[in-house]
Amino acid sequence: MLRSWDLLCCLWALHLPGAGEGAAAGREIDTAHYRERVKAMFYHAYNNYLENAFPYDELRPLTCDGQDTWGSFSLTLIDALDTLLILGNVSEFQRVVNVLQQGVDFDIDVNASVFETNIRVVGGLLSAHLLSKKAGVEVEAGWPCSGPLLRMAEEAARKLLPAFQTPTGMPYGTVNLLHGVNAGETSVTCTAGIGTFIIEFATLSHLTGDQVFEDVARKALKALWKNRSDIGLVGNHIDVVTAKWVAQDAGIGAGVDSYFEYLVKGAILLHDEELMSMFLEYNKAIRNYTKFDDWYLWVQMYKGTVSMPVFQSLEAYWPGLQSLIGDINNAMRTFLNYYTVWKQFGGLPEFYNIPQGYTVEKREGYPLRPELIESAMYLYRATQDPTLLELGRDAVESIEKISKVECGFATIKDLRDHRLDNRMESFFLAETVKYLYLLFDPDNFIHNDGSAFDVVPMPYGECILGAGGYIFNTEAHPVDPAALHCCRKQKEEQWEVEDLMREFLFLKKSKKSTFKRTADHSERESQTASANVSSERSKGEMNPEKNTKRRIPLLSCPNQPFTSKLSVLGQVFLDNT
Amino acid sequence: FKSPWSYQLQRRLGALGVLECLHIFFCCCIMLSKYFLFLSLSRAKDVTMAAKVPVNFFSSKSQVLDLFRGQLDYADYIRQDSEVVLYFFYAPWCGQSIAARKEIEQVASRLADQVLFVAVNCWWNQGKCRKQKHFFYFPVIYLYHRSFGPIEYKGPMSAVYIEKFVRRVMTPLLYISSRSKLLDFLSNYEPGVLGYFEFNASPQPPGYLIFFTSALHSLKKDYLGTIHFGVITDRQIAKEISLTRSGSVYLHRRVNTSLIYPNEVMNYTAENICKWALENRETFIHWLRPHGGKSLLLNNELKKGPALFFFIPFNPLAESHPLLDEITKVALEYNNCNKSQAAEPVLQHLRDANSPDFESIVPHARTQVADTYSITKYPCCNTVVLPQWHLISRTHNVCELCVNQTVGVKPSKVNVPQCNFLEIEAALDSFYLKEHTFFQFVSNTIECSNFLSFYSPFSYYTACCRTVNRGLINLISSEKTIFQTPKVTFSSNGKKGKDDTHHSIPHIEDRNYFTSDLSVNGTHITGLRCRTNKTLNFYLLDSNLFWMYAERLGASRSTDMKAFAAIVDLKEEAHYTLDQNQTLIKSALENFIQNFSILYSPLKRHLVGDSSVHFPAQHIITEVTTNTFRDVVVLSEKNVLLLYYAQWCGFCASLNHIFIQLARLLPPNNFTVARIDVTRNDLPWEFMTDRLPTILFFPYNRKDKSVKFPEDFSVTLPNLLKFILHYSSLPSAAPDLEPFAKACPQGERVLQQQHISHLRSEIQKLRSEVSALHQAQDQLEAQLSEARREEHKLQQQKHTLEKQHSILQLHSEQLQALYEQKNRELEEMAEKLQELADASENLLTENALLKVLLAAMEGKLENRDETKKSIQSEETLSTHDIGPVLTAIDRLHERERLDVSNIDTTVMEHKENRTE
Repeated sequence: MLRSWDLLCCLWALHLPGAGEGAAAGREIDTAHYRERVKAMFYHAYNNYLENAFPYDELRPLTCDGQDTWGSFSLTLIDALDTLLILGNVSEFQRVVNVLQQGVDFDIDVNASVFETNIRVVGGLLSAHLLSKKAGVEVEAGWPCSGPLLRMAEEAARKLLPAFQTPTGMPYGTVNLLHGVNAGETSVTCTAGIGTFIIEFATLSHLTGDQVFEDVARKALKALWKNRSDIGLVGNHIDVVTAKWVAQDAGIGAGVDSYFEYLVKGAILLHDEELMSMFLEYNKAIRNYTKFDDWYLWVQMYKGTVSMPVFQSLEAYWPGLQSLIGDINNAMRTFLNYYTVWKQFGGLPEFYNIPQGYTVEKREGYPLRPELIESAMYLYRATQDPTLLELGRDAVESIEKISKVECGFATIKDLRDHRLDNRMESFFLAETVKYLYLLFDPDNFIHNDGSAFDVVPMPYGECILGAGGYIFNTEAHPVDPAALHCCRKQKEEQWEVEDLMREFLFLKKSKKSTFKRTADHSERESQTASANVSSERSKGEMNPEKNTKRRIPLLSCPNQPFTSKLSVLGQVFLDNT
Repeated sequence: FKSPWSYQLQRRLGALGVLECLHIFFCCCIMLSKYFLFLSLSRAKDVTMAAKVPVNFFSSKSQVLDLFRGQLDYADYIRQDSEVVLYFFYAPWCGQSIAARKEIEQVASRLADQVLFVAVNCWWNQGKCRKQKHFFYFPVIYLYHRSFGPIEYKGPMSAVYIEKFVRRVMTPLLYISSRSKLLDFLSNYEPGVLGYFEFNASPQPPGYLIFFTSALHSLKKDYLGTIHFGVITDRQIAKEISLTRSGSVYLHRRVNTSLIYPNEVMNYTAENICKWALENRETFIHWLRPHGGKSLLLNNELKKGPALFFFIPFNPLAESHPLLDEITKVALEYNNCNKSQAAEPVLQHLRDANSPDFESIVPHARTQVADTYSITKYPCCNTVVLPQWHLISRTHNVCELCVNQTVGVKPSKVNVPQCNFLEIEAALDSFYLKEHTFFQFVSNTIECSNFLSFYSPFSYYTACCRTVNRGLINLISSEKTIFQTPKVTFSSNGKKGKDDTHHSIPHIEDRNYFTSDLSVNGTHITGLRCRTNKTLNFYLLDSNLFWMYAERLGASRSTDMKAFAAIVDLKEEAHYTLDQNQTLIKSALENFIQNFSILYSPLKRHLVGDSSVHFPAQHIITEVTTNTFRDVVVLSEKNVLLLYYAQWCGFCASLNHIFIQLARLLPPNNFTVARIDVTRNDLPWEFMTDRLPTILFFPYNRKDKSVKFPEDFSVTLPNLLKFILHYSSLPSAAPDLEPFAKACPQGERVLQQQHISHLRSEIQKLRSEVSALHQAQDQLEAQLSEARREEHKLQQQKHTLEKQHSILQLHSEQLQALYEQKNRELEEMAEKLQELADASENLLTENALLKVLLAAMEGKLENRDETKKSIQSEETLSTHDIGPVLTAIDRLHERERLDVSNIDTTVMEHKENRTE
């Protein structure tokens, strides 16, 4: 181990400085040109799927036919649905919505992955439901809190609920859509397969009013939190019955990735401090034990010793996630590391051995994954750094040159020689193409910063929807946080707001409803807040300055440091802290 | 070859099928190979395809030899014939290689006659290159000078830079043939190394080759080529730099003494010379060329202290760089601490050599200087006493104020010898408004400042201040009275001055032309580096490549002239910029530097703001920028709720809808809901916040008492409303209500109160009803959705039923067909049976006939023999005869069986067909 460590350090020192050569610094990348090329990529793949593979789950691009992979739901079609809208194809979106309503049936005797079905099918249907008004689909009264696609999503999600009936609350990995959990089903599930439900399930609960979804998702999250190791890490696989860790590798990549992602995104979507505090604790442990020179390695979850000095393709989502909570400097540094791997191969191998600077045996493939491009999109939003567009350019060129075939885009089986495999995963259309397009289209409605919005009249007042801040689930299906608010909170707040507005207009400052006193009615107030309330109550008047110790608010980002002005074109700065 | 379908083919086609099937396979291969596909079919599930065979990367017309199959061996072979070779290693999928391709082509089109350009595909895994080289990135450019190499080019992928580098490799040594060339060489802004070699001896003087190699070597180490190498062959010229011995190497330095390579201490090798030059060179001004990959370059440089960045458009191929020379002069002076005279002649030469160029480029600056000289004869000066500004010490409050109409827009004014009172007044005004303070570190010196007049942009005021003791003040106190008026006018002109602030950056004049009796030192920047404790480092960036950084520091995006200067102070987290309208001339730079260096710097932290704010159609929330902040937030007469946000911050974006709702609710006459994107807009420190989102409330009448929305509370609409309600003082409603309430008689008020309370209870009732209705609605909704789900399910069931129905129908049709077929077969069988029966009947009749014949025969025999035979013989005869008949019947039965089995096999085949 020690030996390899020396080598590791040595190599980092050696090959990083030269890593990004020349760089077309200052050379503008023609975003419009690449946007059109991404569009062409999408239609090449999409049309070939419709012609050759529908209604199977996926297209097989080398043999020009289809196959069922994750069930039998015409998965690629569901997954690509919202990409259609992001590319601006309203008519096809409408057509597909009709096709799905008639053709997809979840009452089938199929063993499906709980995780994949959730993120691809439930997530895809939810986002299609929330975007359907924008796409010009005629929505029924009560939208966004009801609708045919929402009911389909709910139905699909209900099929997954039996998996959650375990002693720990953590779900099984596989469930039969007709019969529930099969007898003799393995009780080992990966961490991500347990902690990747809160976005879809909380959205379902908010929209439909049925709390059961959010409850099971939260219970599973809490079970994971309870079972973290003493040093604050979680492993890769756990037994959902006995809560014993089966695979004890801790890292941020395969098997764990979207658990962390959903803690952050869940916190943002639901304004939930608890989820955020969990993530911040994990983040601390991850920084302490797994981070080396802006790479994140795999460590033993109890001891923190390095078990695999590899970078995984799936880990590349991390910089994007960091940018959402304002850790942009670190995000950029890690991103630039990952980008060097892309430059070496024209894609990201599933595993990349960092000290050796090469792929790992049997893990040389690149199934056209989106993670690095996803991070580039988030970071470009934050920094406008042309380096990120360069990655986009490289991705378009590589994917077109390497994996484009007659009937679509084929998975790269081996990045060393660019041999192709007969598969086109549904996330290629759902995520890779979507993020690429969004990277090159800064004016897309998805990037809306709140300057445009829709007003939807509801029985309890008007709802503001589509005001931006979309949260992407881990399969790149956007969820509008305003819709969640519209279907639940707004009902609860209605009278209170009306009362307050009356006070405004008639200046009746009723002493009963001063700010301080009533604010503690808001349900998820943390203990510190209530402590403040009790201490302040004696004074009888609110005075925020008197909070004795300043607590950093959990649901906030740090402002960017001065150095961020110059942190572009590959320049990074060391923290002063 | 065992794929399932081939197996079926085999089965179906029998022995012939094998051939047939192979044939089909070959057809497939031919078809696919059109697209260079080589499907290796092991099982249908594991179809893979090898990478496409590479094709031309460069066009065939290109000057670049494209070895797209990675034939490195061939490349190395043809390299022997050329003096200079450029290798361009690329990967066909690499975006960077594709982008660099046209740059290389451009260079090749200019240099192809002297340099061999070879492009090698170093990715193709069957090529030699891929097998021998292991690159972490593409493209990689290698240069060879004969056998020396490879020299890797690590500069920007831009044609001019590459060309410059190739030219350097072609002629690493500059031949210095004359004295003027020597001076040219020495005056270059980059450090120079000279070697003196006498070419009398044949064929080459000793050490020359090593010197030559060290020049190439330096390109390897320092790809920017910042160290120039020259060679002198003439003894006379060598003497100029006091080189006498052939083979000696000289490193030119300007401030410190120049060096001669210590042959005795270090071995005379190419590496050593190169190392020595790199270690001992003096650089006052560094080029910064970030390579685009992850790098700590700026981090490391900025950590050293405040940095002065110059962004200038730089063409490495250009003969002269006037702007660069101007900057070099400033840098040299700034660093010239011991006032070494050695630097002077070179500087002088620099001026002389470049003045023609220089003048043509910045004639404006030139004339300006000239004019300044001319007006010194007619100064219009007055001594004034400045009011006490914040911390100004008492001795510093006397100033000499002069008005200089500089540039000749109104040339007549230059000759006006007398003081125009108005001018002085205005000058004093602007002087105050700048809040300008003058400080000396050395007493008895003069500091001056020039201001642009806001009446006429072409005239300057020069204000000089000096330390004056009390006695002097007394002496001049009589003149003070004149300046009573300016003090009054100060306020009236205040606004005007403010509007003007960004046009006139104060700068300090270094020439003392009106008070000759006072000794002047420290007013110009010569050696300032050693006198100030805010030492500046100088950096150059090519604005063609790195204008992005300039934009980040506040340079405008849309200027033609991409020249910009800024001081970045990392420790203070602030930066200062030189006004972009000012050309980067020496005096402007010197003033800029000096203003930064003095103790209480008059430079103001530059705030970068978003200038391109688009106001959306539905603008309900006011978007605030650096420039509009004061007007919208501080000076506005409304209550302002200001949200600090950033587009990338997830917690901010998910609150958008709440703020839109709030803005729609609040009465727009009294309230402004505003927000500011703080990543794009800097604000003065006092208004900054360290976390996002932050919500501040500025009550309309007490803008200085802004309140922060407490962080412990979740940002919800009711909470925000309560917050505003608690702190707002509602301007319009309050005064209206008060008198009204007083005017009302007591009784009426009571009545009203009752009425109100009644209405309130009414409302309460209505509300409870409504909420009951809501509950009912919820239930109904649940039922409705249940019903809809049911409907959907039913529809789906219907669908599946229909599907099943159609399948069944198909099935029944098939069965019908089968039935009919079977029927037919049965009929056939029946017919056959009938035939059999007929046949057997025939046989029976034949049998009977035979029997009859037999009987007749017997009768005849009996008659003929008339001898009585035993009964036994008779019996044996009959059995003997019947035997063949029985076997015939048996055979018939067998045929029948065969027929039946035939039918069976056809049925089987039918079934198979269907399953297939």
